[in-house]
Amino acid sequence: MEDIQLFGIQPSHRLAITILSIFLFALILELVRRDYLKERYALLWLATSAIGLFVGIIPGVIGQFARVFHFQMITMLFVISFFYVLGIVLGFSIIISKLSERNRRLAQEVALLGNRLEHLEQSRGST
Amino acid sequence: MKSRVLVIIPAYNEAESIAKVIQSLKDHVPEYSILVVNDGSTDATEEVVRRFHGVDLINLPFNMGIGNTMQTGYKYALREGFDIAVQCDGDGQHPVQQIAKIVERVEGGDADMVIGSRYVSDTNYAPSFSRRVGKSLLSRIVNSVVGGGITDTTSGFRAANRAVIATFANTYPDDYPEAEALVIMHKHGLKAVETPVDMLPRQGGRSSIGPGRAAYYIVKVSLAIFIGVFKKITHAPGESAEESEAVNAAAFHEETK
Repeated sequence: MEDIQLFGIQPSHRLAITILSIFLFALILELVRRDYLKERYALLWLATSAIGLFVGIIPGVIGQFARVFHFQMITMLFVISFFYVLGIVLGFSIIISKLSERNRRLAQEVALLGNRLEHLEQSRGST
Repeated sequence: MKSRVLVIIPAYNEAESIAKVIQSLKDHVPEYSILVVNDGSTDATEEVVRRFHGVDLINLPFNMGIGNTMQTGYKYALREGFDIAVQCDGDGQHPVQQIAKIVERVEGGDADMVIGSRYVSDTNYAPSFSRRVGKSLLSRIVNSVVGGGITDTTSGFRAANRAVIATFANTYPDDYPEAEALVIMHKHGLKAVETPVDMLPRQGGRSSIGPGRAAYYIVKVSLAIFIGVFKKITHAPGESAEESEAVNAAAFHEETK
């Protein structure tokens, strides 16, 4: 039974997934420490590495999914990671849209304030 | 009481032509205030504009596109208390000598916005085939939403009253805004009509719409319009600083009706 569930995933694969996940975990912590990454977004990536670690240690979980959806193990892995990444990227697009909207308001405000300041300086200069 | 009129000239690298436009405005309609919104031009647009006395200038910190440029103008018009804002391009295509014609119709209360149109019967405008097809397609889409009556949905030569100014200060499309703006107005219960004007050839500079962008233009605007129909009118709470201004202006609009 164990063999069917883990079809296609060798112990060496499990080891690689585990090590990569631990590496990702350490990398994220380091990026946060150096202020390259905000804690807010780091949480997402820490969760990602945790999931990787989980799969590395207990790959049977993927096997269960594969059986439910009638996929090959490796296909299941691919499908899950694809949608996961898709979700992350969509999330980023939403964040970018929000930021660009704020950026627009900020830039317009700066321009309008610059104009006001100029008027103020002129009126002070003339009195 | 005479209404205060502001002419908003969005300018991106219009150093060659903008002086003529400003001079022409000063000659024909000296009573109107003029605002140039410089959209991060890399040429001498700013210097040219500064040579004129009594012309106000807003410099955007970087190039933001025509939509954001015009919206900055509408925000200025709202804050400075203008009754009517006219959009007039800096490339010299808009017939300044006919500007009073569209402003007077807004003053007279014919509609919330009056568009100087290139297609209405007695004008001499002859656009290229692809441009004509694209624009007529767009025109059909816009008219199906707003209930018809606008032949030239992409004309940027337009005069707007205070209710429209307030609406646009709050919500305005960021690129290729003209057609979509009509849909936004319609959603806010504001009415646009058009008046024929003769458009002129460009005085200098180059068109911001190249042939390759035409397809993007149609798809983007159609999408924006279709989604716009289902969009909530106001922004998410906390995102909109202008919301209260829009509400005030809407109240103002009710009073004047």
